[in-house]
Amino acid sequence: MLFSMASCFTGTRRSQLLIMSIHSPSTEPAYDVVWPLGKPAYAARAPNQRVADLSNKVIGETWDYLFRGEEWFPILREELAKRYPGIRFVTYDTFGNLHGPNQRALIAKVPALLAEHKIDAVISGIGA
Amino acid sequence: MLRASAAVERVGVPTVSIISSGFLKQAAVVARGLGLPEMAIAEFPGVPMTQSKEELRRQVVELLLPRVIEGLSKPIQRGEPEREVLLPQPEEAVMSGTLDEINDYFHERDWSDGLPIVPPTQERVHRFLQFTERDPREVIGVCPPANREATVWNVAVNGVMAGCRPEYMPILLAIVEIICTPEYKIEDAGSTPGWESLITLSGPLVKALGFNAGQGVMRTGKQANTSVGRFLRLFIRNVAGFTHAPEGADKGSIGQSFLVAMAENEDAVADIGWQPYSVDRGFKAGDNVVTVQSVVAISAPTYSGTESAEEHMKIIADVIGERACGYWTAIGMVYANWHPLIVLGPSIAKVFAKDGWNKDDIRRYLYEHVKMPASRAEHYAWHCGQTGFRVTEAVKLGLLPHAYHESDDPDRLIPVFQRPEWIGIVIAGDWGRNQSKGYVCNHVQGVPTSRKIVLPGNWDALLAASRPKS
Repeated sequence: MLFSMASCFTGTRRSQLLIMSIHSPSTEPAYDVVWPLGKPAYAARAPNQRVADLSNKVIGETWDYLFRGEEWFPILREELAKRYPGIRFVTYDTFGNLHGPNQRALIAKVPALLAEHKIDAVISGIGA
Repeated sequence: MLRASAAVERVGVPTVSIISSGFLKQAAVVARGLGLPEMAIAEFPGVPMTQSKEELRRQVVELLLPRVIEGLSKPIQRGEPEREVLLPQPEEAVMSGTLDEINDYFHERDWSDGLPIVPPTQERVHRFLQFTERDPREVIGVCPPANREATVWNVAVNGVMAGCRPEYMPILLAIVEIICTPEYKIEDAGSTPGWESLITLSGPLVKALGFNAGQGVMRTGKQANTSVGRFLRLFIRNVAGFTHAPEGADKGSIGQSFLVAMAENEDAVADIGWQPYSVDRGFKAGDNVVTVQSVVAISAPTYSGTESAEEHMKIIADVIGERACGYWTAIGMVYANWHPLIVLGPSIAKVFAKDGWNKDDIRRYLYEHVKMPASRAEHYAWHCGQTGFRVTEAVKLGLLPHAYHESDDPDRLIPVFQRPEWIGIVIAGDWGRNQSKGYVCNHVQGVPTSRKIVLPGNWDALLAASRPKS
């Protein structure tokens, strides 16, 4: 059966059928379809005001213990200290691995640590 | 890390988040989902893991540092306030067209997975809704990172699109309940290892709905296994926001395709006097239970040809334990979580039972016999990017058991399987062959999570009316 069906659609006859299907108005049914996504469950807000001058400010570091932060955080500290007198750092070990097994519990502690160390701004890395 | 930054911003402290170049688009999706679309970002140029020490220093001083300073100090230019977007109402048609036109429309908007979809018409969606007593408007949960609402309605819509039958709806709802639990960490389903969610189904529904639990259990081909597996990937794309390049939040570097749903062969389980996987997961034998967990890699087909349980075990420990799990378990140690799944062919399970072994004996053997040097685990973890990880430190923090630090020898042998009770075992596959396979999980991301499937009161009548007429 399959063989005989295929042989019907060879050569000129097949070409004619294809042309008809491209150029004729569609006789296929139309469907009204609905949206497959969901309503966003958040309200957008603006980030906080920036710190105009980092001199004498306390900078916190939050890290996910990934991608060589143990190398680049010290470089950032060193270079920021050269440019901003009195700048101080609360290093990432104070906060722990914020992407590790205790992520949620440690992130929940962040607000208290910010207050305890009177942190003015935070450098967070690395990744989304 | 943007979740940490958001927690900081919420208490009034400004942040700058360092994101490497390849993650900027993922960051945009995550930031929007966190409600902070204008979060300050400092781009870390390139791939930090492949830069020399000198190059890394130069990049940090010359490029990253000015971006960090700008992010912390320079007032953020507010964009045009987003105009209120009128979202379609659930029953509202978003377009009308032929099958091809609908598929083009959905593909263009990333509402599809690249395969043709079944048009989600109201009528088809309502057929699915007949198989639940829940309100279609019920919000099951919120799916990060896009943070969209998962509802009974959009479960049905995506089920239609995936080619499911209406009677699969109770399973689909249980699956979505699972991925909406915080423990499942669906927000990390776009991490670079490219893990996929594996669905395992136990209970009478396997037979009632025509799932394949035997030969080729993990192949596409059976409508039930295939469409339910496809549904989950589609739902994660559409509701959690995990589309991939060029714009999406799915950073699976190479990734993998969706896995068809696995069905347990409970006849084979009963035949040898073991308990089904549902009981291992805390339910009663005979319950319809769905379990979802991450799978980041699959072992080689593991053949063991012997009438001795111990000889089977040695090969499984070697191929599935040492070779398949022995690499990625290092990342499991980083996250103090490791839930591999072993699928035993019925003939192999039968040999274990004949020799008096049960699933706990298999788990214990793997825990005690499969080991690796601690230095090798740290080596693998570092190359993956976990540059701050030390096994000894994890033990000191109470994240790993004492067995991981019995001496200070860096080459001491440590277990590949963190806890015997974390090893899943399911019997499925070809009864006429002697094969097993290991499914390697992605640690704390996608931990095995189970739900009992809730059927509507008039299930039998509904099912009788819905099954294909042969």
